[in-house]
Amino acid sequence: MAEVDETMKRLQNQKGVQGIIIVNAEGIPIKSTLDNASTVQYAGNIHQLLMKARGIVRDIDPQNDLTFLRIRSKKNEVMIAPDKDYFLIVIQNPTE
Amino acid sequence: MAEVEDTLKRIQGYNGVIGSIVVNAEGIPIRTTLDNSTTVQYVGLLHQLTMKARSTIRDIDPQNDLTFLRIRSKKHEIMVAPDKEFLMIVIQSPTE
Repeated sequence: MAEVDETMKRLQNQKGVQGIIIVNAEGIPIKSTLDNASTVQYAGNIHQLLMKARGIVRDIDPQNDLTFLRIRSKKNEVMIAPDKDYFLIVIQNPTE
Repeated sequence: MAEVEDTLKRIQGYNGVIGSIVVNAEGIPIRTTLDNSTTVQYVGLLHQLTMKARSTIRDIDPQNDLTFLRIRSKKHEIMVAPDKEFLMIVIQSPTE
C-alpha cells in the first residue's frame, strides 16, 4: 500500500497533474486526489468509455487488448491505464 | 486538395504506420490506405468511440471539447483526430 501511495505522490508532483484516481473493477473509485463529486463523475464516465474502447480493440482483433487510453481535450488530457483489477486515471494540463 | 494528399502521403510514409483513413461528417471514409472491409470496420467502431469520448469530456465540462484520442493496445496504436467536418484515423505499430 505504501508503494501505491509513493507512486501516487510521485505522479501528483509532476508538473501539470491536476488529479489522480484509482478505480476498482466495479467502477468504484478507491483512491483519489480530487474532491468527491469530481472523482465520482470522472470514474463513472471514464469506466464506460474504457469498456467501450476495450471492446473495440477486441472486436478488431480478439487477441489484442487495450493497454492505454489518452483523451486530449482543449483544456486538459485524461490518461487511463487499465489493468486486470483496477484502472488508473490521471488528469493533467499538458500546456503547463 | 494537393495539400491533403501530401499530408496523407507524409503520414503514411512514417516508419510503423499501418494505415490512415479520412472520414467525412456522415461517417463515410473518403480516403484510406487500407482494404475496404478493414476500413469500414475501423470507421464504424471508432466513430462510435469518438462520439462517446467527446460526450464524456463534455459531460465533465460542457465548455471543453475533444481534440485527440489515442488508443494504445498490445499490438498497435490507433490515433483519432476529430474535426468539425472530418475525422482522421491513423493506425501505427509503435514498437517498430
